[in-house]
Amino acid sequence: MNSTGNDIVSLNAIDITRTRQQRFYSKILAGSESILYNQYQDDLAFETFVWILWSVKESAYKFLQRTNPNLVFSPTRCFVTQLEIPVEYQILNPSISILEGMGFDGHPACKSIVTVGSETLYSSSIITRGFIFSVVSRDNDFESTGWGIKRIDDAGSDNQSAEVRTFLLEKLKKELPLHQLQVHKNAHGCPVLVNGAEKIDACVSLAHHDHWVGYSYQLDSVMA
Amino acid sequence: MTKEEILNELKKVIAPYTTNKEMLAGIDDNTDLIKDLKINSANLVDIIIDAEAKYDIEIDYDSADKMVNVGNCIAVISEKMKEKNEQHG
Repeated sequence: MNSTGNDIVSLNAIDITRTRQQRFYSKILAGSESILYNQYQDDLAFETFVWILWSVKESAYKFLQRTNPNLVFSPTRCFVTQLEIPVEYQILNPSISILEGMGFDGHPACKSIVTVGSETLYSSSIITRGFIFSVVSRDNDFESTGWGIKRIDDAGSDNQSAEVRTFLLEKLKKELPLHQLQVHKNAHGCPVLVNGAEKIDACVSLAHHDHWVGYSYQLDSVMA
Repeated sequence: MTKEEILNELKKVIAPYTTNKEMLAGIDDNTDLIKDLKINSANLVDIIIDAEAKYDIEIDYDSADKMVNVGNCIAVISEKMKEKNEQHG
């Protein structure tokens, strides 16, 4: 079964000093992953590196939790084994408030490979001055992965949750000829798409942090 | 420390990371940090680090993975405090 998983980290909401402390980052990075930073240390702040890996791992967890509801999120047991960061990795436009796409061609995305147990997954991450947004897929090309990022004014937790659902549904209503689309959570807290009383065979993932929300989706089986 | 004392201190550890103060006041063992208290997952490591500092304990990876609800947080903190006290005789 296919799946999708995403995560977004607001860079204005993280504690930079704390992130740089070994006591903190050692609870996110596996020992072997520190080596990945060596080749990027002149161009990439360490705290950005830590939160890229966090967002990749959280996305991988969401991807796998859909089919393995009892999976426990354990960042140090997710291993990022490869990390490719483009030279101009950061989107510098400070006024960016919405980004949406299908796949990541044309975007300066960071690419990585992450393994969790026997599973190997691929990730693409968009980085700006404001956020890190990651999506995980089983395929490296992300051709059938839709994604979106939006800045919201009200960062209250209830509003974050409402805004990300509205944002995703506005997009999906353009993609699917369905008029009663809603996002529900299943018994394991995983978001599922329904149209009225009918469950839609599509995978969606939601993320929010501070003033940023993001979604990813896979519609292959619905569109087939 | 009794379970109730740990719970009261745990509320102070969690407080900076939740805006749901009403729910925080009434938390019990089953309260889920993310689903019920709306704590962002990115702050779970903060809570573990703050708990380590508050109780002068070290929380290993296996134990940290369990700290997703209040009951498990109390159990882990209680266990680590007991281990510390045994080591210090």
